[in-house]
Amino acid sequence: MIELDSVRKEYGDVVAVRDVSLSVGGGQFHCLVGPNGSGKTTVFRLLLGLARPTAGTLSVPDAVGCGFQRPNFYPDLTVRENLTVFASLVGSPGREWRETVVDELRLRRAMDRPAHDLSGGFARKLDLALALLKRPDYLLLDEPLAALDDVSKERLLDFLSAYAGDATVLVSTHHVGDFEPYTDRLTVMHEGRVVLDARPEDLDLDGHDSLQAYYVALVREHERAARGEGHGPVGQQPGRSDGEPDTGQRLRGE
Amino acid sequence: MSLRSLLKKEFHWSKHNALALAFVLLLLPAFFASTSVVFGTVVPRDAPVAVTPESEEVTDQELSIITGAFEPFSDPKRVDSPEEAERMLRRESVYAIVQVPPDITDPDNDNATFVLTVDGSITPFERPSQAIRAIMARALNDAPFLEADISVRREVVGTENSLSEYLVPSFLMAIIMLFAFTYVPYNLAKESNVLDRIRAESSLETLVLSKLIYFSVLMLVPILVFQGAAAYFDYATTALSVGSVLTLLLTFFYLAAISTAVMVLLRFGTLGRFVNVVILLGITAFSGLAFPVGYLSPVRKAIIRADPVHYSTIMTRSFMLKDAELSLFADWLLALAGFALLTLACVKLSAMYYRRTT
Repeated sequence: MIELDSVRKEYGDVVAVRDVSLSVGGGQFHCLVGPNGSGKTTVFRLLLGLARPTAGTLSVPDAVGCGFQRPNFYPDLTVRENLTVFASLVGSPGREWRETVVDELRLRRAMDRPAHDLSGGFARKLDLALALLKRPDYLLLDEPLAALDDVSKERLLDFLSAYAGDATVLVSTHHVGDFEPYTDRLTVMHEGRVVLDARPEDLDLDGHDSLQAYYVALVREHERAARGEGHGPVGQQPGRSDGEPDTGQRLRGE
Repeated sequence: MSLRSLLKKEFHWSKHNALALAFVLLLLPAFFASTSVVFGTVVPRDAPVAVTPESEEVTDQELSIITGAFEPFSDPKRVDSPEEAERMLRRESVYAIVQVPPDITDPDNDNATFVLTVDGSITPFERPSQAIRAIMARALNDAPFLEADISVRREVVGTENSLSEYLVPSFLMAIIMLFAFTYVPYNLAKESNVLDRIRAESSLETLVLSKLIYFSVLMLVPILVFQGAAAYFDYATTALSVGSVLTLLLTFFYLAAISTAVMVLLRFGTLGRFVNVVILLGITAFSGLAFPVGYLSPVRKAIIRADPVHYSTIMTRSFMLKDAELSLFADWLLALAGFALLTLACVKLSAMYYRRTT
């Protein structure tokens, strides 16, 4: 399991992540959602060892594959060379799996193109392919659908959903709607805090017709509460007496 | 495993940047090697000279008189053993040896002949040594306490090289420095595109080590180019001797480690590249690359004597021009290897700093 316990991350005076505790695992398709600057990417960087927590502890297994918000590969190499280099670097289980990844992501026709020539969609696919190369038990993807067309999105989501049967997939996104049918667990972050951590089926959508609408309303409520204008998060009584928005503890337990 | 993978990546990268590499590794070295022919004269300013007794009969007082007589036109160093003086000459610690004959203060001694020994491969000192011989003869004949009629015989030991030949090792060293402080930082800056993935899957240390190893091996190419250019121009220089290759690769390694540490400290940014260019210019000015250190001002001389590149240059010159044996520079080579390890430790520290500040 990936475990975060009271993790805090500060960059100078800016607190990017505040006392986040979270468990990720169990072969779930786990969505980490939040508006820009909510701390999702910082959580990812902490999980990948790219940043050190200022406080708290985290435990991450070795078998983690990662897809980045900004595609990470060698732009001067071709797609094939990138795959070869990183397969060797991460210890890919074999050529067969690599070919499966290439086919699933529809990368084959771009194999001999220099990576810097790839369109945004193909660049994203290459980044995802690199994340999948070692067939990780934990797949961490930061905005994996960015720059993908609708057909590619659907194909990828089907693939990731099937993959989540054997492994845990943690996706960071602004758009929970894309992932709604596949999500086993939803974690919402706002201003560095986890404000919701629940299974979608356990949620009372409070009159909203979709998870996306519920999420947007939840974030807006937290924004209002942070400004001292609101009555606490969606579905809750007014905020805490100390003026801090409630962190959604009611929804965190299952 | 991961090192081999990253080395493989460097090979792929080279294929896609063949033109840039050809420019830096082939054309630039060829240009520098060719421009050596335009240097034909040199204007020296100062030269360290070893003053040593010809035999055991020479007294301390006589050595002191001669050392004092040389001060107006050179930088004399009193050396008690002729063997040590010869070793200093071969290591460019001095550019001439003056052997003092016995009984020069004896009123009954009518004639005394001093021997001024110079190394033929130190080309910038060839003509000045002729002038020094004449000045020395006049100064000694005018000196008080020396009663004898004094003559000075100039002897040249070793191969006499042209100035063009003399400059070939300097230009090769310049290429090594240029590559370490411009191309390596440029390459590292491009690595920022994939740094997160490399750090997540491997480590920053492995990444920079793969680059240091790969580029050090690539340095064999300009060495070969200089060997080819030397053959074309019929120069009496050998770039491919064990000593010169070892020295050049070791030198590149520690210089590239310095530039890498700077890049990592400055987070692979443009500032790191500029800082490296400034270091390059500083080292160029303070390494005694072209002219022997004795020709420079005392302050500059002191700085140069503390610069490892200065010793790399002397060794490269000695191996390329004089085919010097490795044992002559064993202590310097060990010191440079130690310095290379120190720079590697700096790379490690810079990587730790990078992580801590991320």
